[in-house]
Amino acid sequence: MRVSEQDFVGRDVITVSDFRREEILFLLDTAARFENETGTPLAGRVIAALFFEASTRTRLSFESAVGRLGGTSIGFAEAGASSATKGENLSDTVRVVEGYSDLLLLRHPLEGAARLAAEFVDIPVVNCGDGAHQHPTQTFVDLYTMRRECGRLDGLHVVFCGDLRFGRAVHSLVSVLALFNARVTLVSPSFLRLPAEHRHTLESNGVIYNEAPDLESSLAEADVLYMTRVQRERFTDPLEYERFKDTYTLDLNVLKRASDQLAILHPLPRVNEIAREVDGQSHAAYFRQAHYGVAVRKALLALLLGVAGEVPK
Amino acid sequence: MNDSGRDPGAARNRENVYEVSKLDRGTVIDHLRAGTAVRAASVLRLPPSCPMMLGVNLESERLGRKDIIKIRHYELSEEEAAKVALISPDATLSIIRDFSVAQKIDLHPPIAFRGLIRCTNDVCITHSEGIRGRFFVASHDPVTAACEYCGRHITADHFEFEKNA
Ligand SMILES: [Zn+2]
Repeated sequence: MRVSEQDFVGRDVITVSDFRREEILFLLDTAARFENETGTPLAGRVIAALFFEASTRTRLSFESAVGRLGGTSIGFAEAGASSATKGENLSDTVRVVEGYSDLLLLRHPLEGAARLAAEFVDIPVVNCGDGAHQHPTQTFVDLYTMRRECGRLDGLHVVFCGDLRFGRAVHSLVSVLALFNARVTLVSPSFLRLPAEHRHTLESNGVIYNEAPDLESSLAEADVLYMTRVQRERFTDPLEYERFKDTYTLDLNVLKRASDQLAILHPLPRVNEIAREVDGQSHAAYFRQAHYGVAVRKALLALLLGVAGEVPK
Repeated sequence: MNDSGRDPGAARNRENVYEVSKLDRGTVIDHLRAGTAVRAASVLRLPPSCPMMLGVNLESERLGRKDIIKIRHYELSEEEAAKVALISPDATLSIIRDFSVAQKIDLHPPIAFRGLIRCTNDVCITHSEGIRGRFFVASHDPVTAACEYCGRHITADHFEFEKNA
């Protein structure tokens, strides 16, 4: 079951579970090759970025990837600028845009939007977030960062901390870690515990995991700490939000117990969950993580468009 | 007489009373799980004044208790049969013609299907686009369907069936 570039050409990227372990590793290898790529394999290609929901970080990361590879991006950054405000169906919009572009990046507030778009167009569709459902490129970036920072992806001990209930990035990463024989520790207030269906996924995939009340004592043997922010918009009661938002704060004091090789990841933006004093530590990988995102997205775009091989090795 | 003090032959005879009361032409849905007949009947699109009998909590050798539906002068469509199978997997469907069983089918939930039910996720794209949902059966007992679009898992007791069969 050897993977080649051909396996990616023209493919849609809707959920992480569409990809096998070998395919993910192939993508990460390609991303490593693209980290310092200066060629322009996307020259003459047009990438359409339809962002029906604002997401500055993801959009900029993709636009940077397109620009660095010599491609052109078109599109809009929020639904207000699109014909959706005039009541146009998504399926109509994507069929129109298909004629303007070679690949479609789609972010949409409704779940399943990317799968639907992919059914209506022949060009590759990349899901850049569909509601609370999936955001596969974030997960690829997380995996790339873990491997890049830890030097391996197999057998890592990963601690997740913060909002494990609503965090889409956490759910997606948790679901894929089973492919890499990870050990998992979950640290959250009980209100923000990882939902049962995802705990069952861990169990049924044979992942060893435990739930711990305390971050500090969980760090001693951890390779990766995946911090998340508690999002205000998840709470209907502002007092509830105030109660949970600062439950876990990572500062130098908490970090004392950490092993030397610990890498701290965060999908960003952060609020107070990581103190600024941590930023200067070698553990702090979250800004590098954002930067790796461009390499991973460059690799993905080039693979889907069948031009990844045009880069000199 | 067996250990339990019941005569299996007598039980079979009692079952037969329900099963073979004379239907000249129509459909018998048998071995419905106890308590599902009313729900199963509600997904059928019968013509007005079509006679239908429901038997509820009847004795069954196979299931302990079972429900049964008999409909006169009506044969289920494939869609209706699929809906019944989603409500009560492993029911049996008999088409009666001229007082005898013309065809007997063991119902099984479809592995993957379009329509039949609607996704229960309010923010699923299928609703705003006005398209029929696509589902695959993620587990069998109870039947759980997963939406191909948004990924929502829906268990049988939460199925919302499409009206336009
Ligand atoms: Zn759905």
